[in-house]
Amino acid sequence: MEKTRIGVYVCWCGTNIAMMVDVEAVAKEMESRQNVVLARTYKYMCSDPGQDMVIRDIKEHKLNRVVIAACSPRIHENTFRKALENAGLNPYMLQMANIREQNSWVHSDRIEATRKAKSLVAGAVSRVNHHQPLNKREVPVNPASLIIGGGISGITAALELADAGKRVYLVEKESELGGIAAMLDLTSPHFYSISDSLKTLIRRIEVHQNIKVYMDSQVKQINGYVGNFNGEIKIGNKKVKNIDFGNIVVATGLKPIKPETIENYGYGVFSEVITSLDFEQVLKKGSVLNAYGIKPKNVAIIHCVGSRNEDYKPYCSRTCCMTALKYANMIRSALPEANVYQMYADMRAYGKHCEELYADTSGKNVLFLMYDQREGMPIIEKDAIGPGVLIKFNERLSGEDIEVPAELVILMTAMESGKDAKSISQMTGTSLDANGFFIEKHPKLDPVSTTTDGVYVVGSCQSPKNIPESVSQARAATANILATIAKGYVEVEVITAEVNEDICCGCQFCIQVCPYGANNYDQRKAVSSVNEALCKGCGTCGSACPSGAISTRHFTDKQILSQIEGIMAEVGSG
Amino acid sequence: MSTRINPDFKNELTHFGKDEWNECYHCGNCTAICPLSKDGFLFPRKDLRAIQMGLQDKLDASLEPWLCYYCGECSETCPRDANPAELMMTLRRYLTSRYDKSGLAKLFYTNHIWEYVVLGLMFLAIVVAFLVFLPLKTDAALMVNESGGVMINSLVEGINAERFIGIIEYGDWTMAIVIALLLVSNIVVMFYKSVLSENGIRIPFSSYFTEAWQLVWNFATQSRFSKCDDKQYWIGHLLLMTGYTIMFILVVVFLPLFQIETVEPWWHWQRLLGYYATFGILFFLTIVTIKRLQKRDVKLKYSHPSDWIFIVMLALTTISGILVHIFRLQGMVAATYYTYVIHLAILVPMLMVEVPFSKWSHLAYRPFAIYFARLKTVAAEVEKEKSHKELVPAVGS
Repeated sequence: MEKTRIGVYVCWCGTNIAMMVDVEAVAKEMESRQNVVLARTYKYMCSDPGQDMVIRDIKEHKLNRVVIAACSPRIHENTFRKALENAGLNPYMLQMANIREQNSWVHSDRIEATRKAKSLVAGAVSRVNHHQPLNKREVPVNPASLIIGGGISGITAALELADAGKRVYLVEKESELGGIAAMLDLTSPHFYSISDSLKTLIRRIEVHQNIKVYMDSQVKQINGYVGNFNGEIKIGNKKVKNIDFGNIVVATGLKPIKPETIENYGYGVFSEVITSLDFEQVLKKGSVLNAYGIKPKNVAIIHCVGSRNEDYKPYCSRTCCMTALKYANMIRSALPEANVYQMYADMRAYGKHCEELYADTSGKNVLFLMYDQREGMPIIEKDAIGPGVLIKFNERLSGEDIEVPAELVILMTAMESGKDAKSISQMTGTSLDANGFFIEKHPKLDPVSTTTDGVYVVGSCQSPKNIPESVSQARAATANILATIAKGYVEVEVITAEVNEDICCGCQFCIQVCPYGANNYDQRKAVSSVNEALCKGCGTCGSACPSGAISTRHFTDKQILSQIEGIMAEVGSG
Repeated sequence: MSTRINPDFKNELTHFGKDEWNECYHCGNCTAICPLSKDGFLFPRKDLRAIQMGLQDKLDASLEPWLCYYCGECSETCPRDANPAELMMTLRRYLTSRYDKSGLAKLFYTNHIWEYVVLGLMFLAIVVAFLVFLPLKTDAALMVNESGGVMINSLVEGINAERFIGIIEYGDWTMAIVIALLLVSNIVVMFYKSVLSENGIRIPFSSYFTEAWQLVWNFATQSRFSKCDDKQYWIGHLLLMTGYTIMFILVVVFLPLFQIETVEPWWHWQRLLGYYATFGILFFLTIVTIKRLQKRDVKLKYSHPSDWIFIVMLALTTISGILVHIFRLQGMVAATYYTYVIHLAILVPMLMVEVPFSKWSHLAYRPFAIYFARLKTVAAEVEKEKSHKELVPAVGS
């Protein structure tokens, strides 16, 4: 076995480290350590000359281990791993000691800070002795994709992928494609007929040779990992179909809440009171009539029904304000003489052309009445003197307790996550937030990926979204998927857990604690095994294993204990 | 008790002024910028809201439109061009029509053709009455005395001087009493709507007297107007108001002083007051006319027909009055007689129509509104003090 030869490099980081830590003293102290061949300091280790120095030393002095004492490994560990790779060394033969964020930046006593730096670097030197070379793994990608949900998001994703020549399996639990969008008459703020556009898209899906649609179907099980998933789909009531695919797009959407649960609105009690989706059906028929077939003289549109209220749904359902304005416009043109009331808690006219629609609507003799979402939700009761119902609340802009007669009341109901969100999140190894919506990997910088590679969440299954947002997300996900397919393979994490099958007692505790569903139980051998494509190397199973059968690569007990020993050992002061 | 809203109500207001109130989205900038909106009387946003929602009882009881002096700052600040200043003006017209139980004010405001018809008929009636019953003497031209005064006893046919003066004076006083009765009855309605009909309000009896000085003080100085940021309008308005009031008192109450045959020297107090009044009225009228025509000032961009009737009638009265004065000094008997008849034929309908039923009523309503608002404030203060006193022992025990 080749002799261990360690090179230690202490970075000044300009004055960031050098001002509080005597970097020369740290380097000098390390020179005498076991297996240390050389110890140097440099102004900026991360700079090209700094990296070149490491590469030159590896070649000239035949170094096979490197310790860099500098900033946090989150910033430059990859930089130095690449440098090692360029010098022909395995990148995992590197250990970093953080003497900036964890030392120079937070201390004010130079002598003590230098002593601490020596301890931290000594720990790294001690640890790097036990580093093992690890090799990156690549797995091929199955170019087929599974899309769960046939709403506007799922339809868009399916067509994008299929048009790019890739196989698509589209699973829809209902007997028709289109989702919520198919229930709408016109869109807001532009008043396009969405059903016309949808019909064209659905027709294209039905005839597309690359798309296989499973109607009335549900995903029952998903196994595997990015590039190599396998799933079971239950078609109708009995038939189960097994398919293979490389990526998953979750586009399960949302559903309106049941307004009966909010008693003050009297939904189900008064026929005058309907939901926004009910009203879309009324509009599709071409005339505005209430449940009694009468042209209403007073139409009330109540916003935020169940939204933005801690007792029901704490979030904003996002699409209702614009839809409510759309209704006001359509009622105004259908019934020019009618009184139209918008009863709102706050108007939210964000986004392109939305404020314009609001301004335009407010000029059309539509009365905006404000109520308090927390304390003053409108109460609907029978009108003792008029034909319809009475809506009672305290109007905030006037401070008056008012009653508004109406023969048609439209509730802008809140939207909640689909009822199968939970089972799909479990199958795909993704997480749901407190409201039951899927969590994206990063809300701003990675808005359609999830923490499980190869699984994307798009459209309203993340949170209520309008059509352009859903379409954009579907296209973003397909761009990611096509990039993976084009590459042909995916790199999987090498710092993963491994099971020593000789010691494993088969208690399966590791399976329970794994947050990524990466651990499986091998019935035949009666031991656990780790799916390395799913494992993120978090180490939870390793610390939970009662028999010590699981260890995590690059974080073995030996490596960690030797680092602790190095830190705890005596160092020279000053 | 909740109020049923009435969105059709605002249609009733469209003839009273410019209806731009749908634009308002209630940012409240107008109320915030107004230097007069305070002490529990906040405007103009709340009144605008009451119009949008059709809270008619609330508007009928509202004193705020009279507490505003129309400086126009709110309209300049409004981000939506909802013109809240014009709205306050509209509400004043509306309230005038609500205080007047005869329905004439509403008729004149909403259909101003009727106002022209009534003014025209009264003009004709007075001219005809003079020509028929008190025509000019054919030899009147000779009857001018040394000081240039026209000898009234020889001016008109078939009547002696005392009878003539008496007819004019009694007619004058009758008109003054009619106008006063109408105004007083309107103010009683205003008091009932704004103070008495409010639930749970108890005005301390003594405050009716202790606060009465507000009436006189605000009428005479319009000190509230001086709190608006633009002081020029206050000064201009004060000139007009004092000029008009002086003239009104002189010709309506002290008419006998004028019905004499001698001409006083120019420095006589009577003539000096008259010249001041004429200057004050003409000065402000000229400025306002120019500004209303220019339409540059936000607050004078829009002119209701009643605004123009006000300006034109006052201008005609003043000009005809000046002509009477000149002709009399020049000893031009016939010219004096005919301009005098025309002067009366303009003045009388103007006073009879404008003062109780139209724009000039604000002369009386404004100080009373300030007085009533003050009474309500006192009542609220007493109430607050009382509830505070009731609380104190409860805390102590």
